[in-house]
Amino acid sequence: MHCEPFEYEKPVSLREFESLYAAKGEDAKILAGGTDLMVLIKEKLLAPRLLIDISDLHELQGISFDSRQGLTIMAGTKIAEIERSALVKEHAPALAYAAANLGSNQVRWMATMAGNICHASPAAETPPVLLAHDCELIIGKQGGERTLPISRFFLSYRKTALEPGEYLKAFRLPPLPERSAVAYRFKGLRRAMEIDMLNIGAYLELSEEGQSVSDIRLAMGSVGPTTYRATATEQRLKGMQIDDEFFATACGGVVQEASPIDDVRASAEYRNRVIGVLTRRALEECLEIIASRGNKA
Amino acid sequence: MKKLIKLEINGENFDLAVEPTAYLIDVIRESVGLTGTKKGCGIGDCGACTVLIDGRPALSCITLAVACTGKAITTIEGLSKGTELHPVQRAFIDKGAVQCGFCTPGMVLSSKALLDENPHPSQDEIKTALAGNLCRCTGYAKIVEAVEHAGQLLSGEVTHEQA
Repeated sequence: MHCEPFEYEKPVSLREFESLYAAKGEDAKILAGGTDLMVLIKEKLLAPRLLIDISDLHELQGISFDSRQGLTIMAGTKIAEIERSALVKEHAPALAYAAANLGSNQVRWMATMAGNICHASPAAETPPVLLAHDCELIIGKQGGERTLPISRFFLSYRKTALEPGEYLKAFRLPPLPERSAVAYRFKGLRRAMEIDMLNIGAYLELSEEGQSVSDIRLAMGSVGPTTYRATATEQRLKGMQIDDEFFATACGGVVQEASPIDDVRASAEYRNRVIGVLTRRALEECLEIIASRGNKA
Repeated sequence: MKKLIKLEINGENFDLAVEPTAYLIDVIRESVGLTGTKKGCGIGDCGACTVLIDGRPALSCITLAVACTGKAITTIEGLSKGTELHPVQRAFIDKGAVQCGFCTPGMVLSSKALLDENPHPSQDEIKTALAGNLCRCTGYAKIVEAVEHAGQLLSGEVTHEQA
């Protein structure tokens, strides 16, 4: 298969990568797993002059947890490692679940979560969960870094807030408060290698007496140009008692805030009908998780 | 411009001159001459091109050859010892899990990676591990049976003669 020629560099340290990317970033693409990038190149949707391979940079690998900062996942960590990590299963089980449902086993051993995020597809698996966690992104560049809440990362279809010379360095998921949980629900056509026709990440935090909502986040995928939160609905739900009216408000609200299109994967009508169902199921799962933790304590 | 690289394939080192744009599958098949690895869709969807890189299943049609220096690549040719088949290969034959054979190298390697990590997978775990390998003859039932059988062969619970 013919494709436009490109050069290939594999820096051996983060410092070398940063200076190379600062110098040549405009014509370069970062190669982490390649499961999206190489396909785009093969299909001639992208023609970078240079690929910078960061897949073996040890500074960008690993998963750690501390009780103050929460869970830190470095950008080069493979999806398969996130899926299997005991730390992720303990502190962000919905993320482990979303990771396990991405692509195929081969893809999960190649791809990274940073790639899944930076590709900025509205149908990606991990963004709804990361939005539900209100994850903080650590963005690196030569000589510095900044943090950005993920809620400000996706600007439009396949467009992110990364400036020239910047790259995604790490994800930080703050520790979950007591009486809170995150759940992920999705609809796809088959078990593997599909792209979600609809997905949702939900965060629910109950008040001290456990009867009402003290905080909530609902992040929807495949119902607009980016994955985004139903913020107006979230505002209405805060303080509500957990009852039928709460579920009706949540499910009705997400349908109002969703603006799906007809595409190859599903119709807008189907998406409008099902997004509310997924929202209810995700919130019910959050309640179940909170209840089961309460029983253990 | 071509780059000089060293690839370790099935324990053997190959010195190769490859374009940065060359995909691992093409280098394995055309430069090295190992044609057991199959090219199906060419965009990472079908799994026919699966090889193991450092023991992990990878799609060689969307992997650059230059990115594989310093890594151990296993292709289907690397499994048997001479004429003695690997237990996963043996199990695929015993259970009739091969029809046209085009998906088989990828299926066998994905199965090997699974069994190395999880010697006694459930049917569901097998289906999940092989979900990225398409068989258009639709012989999945026998393939799943073969992987279960391979697990038993590897652990010595059954022998080939008992199959």
